[in-house]
Amino acid sequence: MTSEVGRGTTPADAPEIGQRRSVARLWPAIPAALVLGVLFLGSMAFMVVFSFWRTDAGFHLVPDWNVDNYVKFFTVPTYLRTFGKTLVMAAAVTVAALATALPFTYFLVRYVSRRWQRIVLLAVIVPFWTSYLLRVYAWQAILGERGVINQLLMGLGIIDAPTRLFTYNDLSVFIVLVYVSFPFAALALYATLERFDFGQLRAAQDLGARPDQALRHILLPQIRPGIITACIFVFVPIIGEFLTPVVVGGTQGVLIGNLVINFFRGAQIAQGAAFAIVIAAFVTLLLIVFRRHLQVEDVVARG
Amino acid sequence: MDHLSKQFSRRRFLQTTAGVTGAMAMGGFASASRVMAQSPMAGPTGTFNFMTWSDHFYQEQLDAITAAIDITPSISELAGNAEGFIRVSEVGGQLDMISGDALWVPRYFEDGLIDAWDINELEVSKGLYSLAREFDIWTTPAGYLGYPFGWSPVQIYYDPAHVSPAPDSWEVLLDPKYAGRVMVENQPEEVPAYMGKLAGVGDPYNMTTEELAQAKELMIRLKPNVLRLAQQNTDVINALTNGEVWIATGNLGYDERVREAGGPEIKVFTPKEGTIGWMDAEMIVTGGANSALVRPWLEMAQTPEHIAENFLRYGRPLFNEAAYKVLVNNGHQERADRFLYNKPETVQAMTLKGPGTSTQAAIEAFNEVFGA
Repeated sequence: MTSEVGRGTTPADAPEIGQRRSVARLWPAIPAALVLGVLFLGSMAFMVVFSFWRTDAGFHLVPDWNVDNYVKFFTVPTYLRTFGKTLVMAAAVTVAALATALPFTYFLVRYVSRRWQRIVLLAVIVPFWTSYLLRVYAWQAILGERGVINQLLMGLGIIDAPTRLFTYNDLSVFIVLVYVSFPFAALALYATLERFDFGQLRAAQDLGARPDQALRHILLPQIRPGIITACIFVFVPIIGEFLTPVVVGGTQGVLIGNLVINFFRGAQIAQGAAFAIVIAAFVTLLLIVFRRHLQVEDVVARG
Repeated sequence: MDHLSKQFSRRRFLQTTAGVTGAMAMGGFASASRVMAQSPMAGPTGTFNFMTWSDHFYQEQLDAITAAIDITPSISELAGNAEGFIRVSEVGGQLDMISGDALWVPRYFEDGLIDAWDINELEVSKGLYSLAREFDIWTTPAGYLGYPFGWSPVQIYYDPAHVSPAPDSWEVLLDPKYAGRVMVENQPEEVPAYMGKLAGVGDPYNMTTEELAQAKELMIRLKPNVLRLAQQNTDVINALTNGEVWIATGNLGYDERVREAGGPEIKVFTPKEGTIGWMDAEMIVTGGANSALVRPWLEMAQTPEHIAENFLRYGRPLFNEAAYKVLVNNGHQERADRFLYNKPETVQAMTLKGPGTSTQAAIEAFNEVFGA
C-alpha cells in the first residue's frame, strides 16, 4: 500500500495537497449550500430586515428602523395568548402523536413479519398521496354537525340532535393535527425501533427487571434519537400551522399562523415578518435546547 | 449486396442522407409557411400570467379560447385586493393581468403598476353598459384603468326558519340568539368596514381612531356568533345549505345558489345602515412580458356568451349588457333581474371597497379580535 502523498510528492507538498483535497471534498456540498443560503437564509434575512421596518398607509415597506412590530407582539394580549395556545396545542399533539405511534411501531417491529411491516407502513404513508387540504376537508365531513360521528351517535340513540362537540373548536383542531402528524411520528420511531435488539429486553427481564423497568431503562434510552426526531417533526410544523384551524377550527380554534397569514394577506408585511421571525426564533431556540439537553446530534451522527 | 455496398460508399451515403435531410427541412419549412399563411391565428399566441378570483373564468371557456386563438392564461388565485397589490408591487411585469376592486384600481395606477388604455379598442367592449365605460374613478387622461367585469353589494342572507323576526340591520349578526350560527368571509379589511357601517361611520375605509374603536367593540360582540371565517364563498353556500349556519354575509345570488344546492329557502336584505360593495376590473400590468396576449384574450373571454355562462355559474351581476340580452333570450331574465343584473347603477349607491387610511389599523383590530 502506497499512500497518495507518497506518489511523486515531497513531504513539503503534503499540506497543500491536503488543502486541495479538502476543497475538492467540499464541492458536493455546494448545491445544498446554495439552496440553503439563497432560499432559506437569504429569504430569512429579508424577513428579518422587513420586520424592523414599517408599512406606510400606501402599503409600501418603509426603511424606518424600529422595533414597534416586536413590541406589538409582546404587548398585545391577543397575540401572546394565541402564541401560547399554539405552543400548548403543538405540545399536546406531539405527546398524543408519540403516545399513539410508539405502541403502534413497537408492535409492528416486534410482532409483525417483515413483509407485513412494509404493507402496514405503506398504509400509513398512503394518505400522503392525497393533498393535505383534501384530508383536512375529509375530517370536516367526519366531525361536522352533519358528519359521520354525529350520524352514528344519533343512530345509536346516544344523542337526539347533532352536537358541535367535535367541530369548530380546539378539540377538532387537536384531533386532525394528531391524525396529520401520526405518520411523521410513526416513521421516525420505526426507523429507530427497527434497529433495536429486542433480546436486550428479555435479558433485562432474565436479570430481574420488571417489563416496565426494561422498557424505561433499556428501550427508551436507545430509541431516544427516534423520539426526538418525532418530536421535532411533529412539534415544529404545528407552530406554523394555519390550514387545519381554518377548516375545522372555526373562530375558536385559531392558532398564531392564522394571524400571520392575515397580516400578509392584508399587505402588512412588516408586522407579519416580525411575527414570523418571533416564531422562527422560538423554534430555533427550541432546537438548541434539544441539542444541548437531549443530545439531538445523535439523530444525525448515527452511522 | 456487394454491388450495393460498392455503390453506397460511406461518403456517398453521407451525401445522400444530407441531401434528403435538407430537402425534408426545406419541404417542412415551405409547408409550415403555407400553414402559417393560411392560419386564422395570425396574431400572437402563447401563455400570459393572470392573477384573478376563481369566479372570473370557467374551464370550458379557457379551453375554447385556447382552441380558437392559442392563447392560454396561466392563472394564479387572488385571495384579496391588498395581497394582489403587494404581489404586483413585488413582481411587476412577471404578471400580465390582475383583477382588482373599485378604489384599488386607481391605487394600482397611482403607483405605476398598471397601464391606462382605451377599452373601446376591443370589439366586445361595445357590449358593456355605457355606465361601466365611464366610471370616474377608473377614468384618467391616459385612458381607462381596467376592463369592467362584475359587481355586487355585500348583503345579509338568513334562514327564515331559524331567524325571526325578519332582520333589517347589521345588528342581527351580533344577536346572542344566533351564537355560532353566523358565517362571514375571512376579510380582515371588510369585516371592520361593515361593523363601521353599523356604528354609523360614513367612510368605513377611512375611520378615525374613535370610529375604529367602535367598530372593534362591535367585532368583539360579533365573534361569539361567528362559527368560522369562510375562505371562499363556496364555504358560505355549503354552510347555509347544510344548515350549519343561519346567517351569512355575501355577494348577490347566494340565495339562489343555496336553493340550487338543495338547501333551505334563504332570504336576503341590504342593511338599513347601508352596505359596502365591490365592482371589479381586469387590469393590464405595466411592463408585462406577455401583455400583447391580454387584449386578444379579453376579446374572446368577454363575449356575451361566455359572460352569460359565467353569470349562470357564479350568480352575481356583471357589467356586460350584451350578456344580459343573451340571458333574456335564453329564458333567464327573471333570475338576472332578481340579481340586479339590469340595474348596474346600483353600484353608485354602495360604499366601494378600496384602500383607505384606516386599513392597517382595521386589519390589526380584526386580528386582535379574532385571535385566541
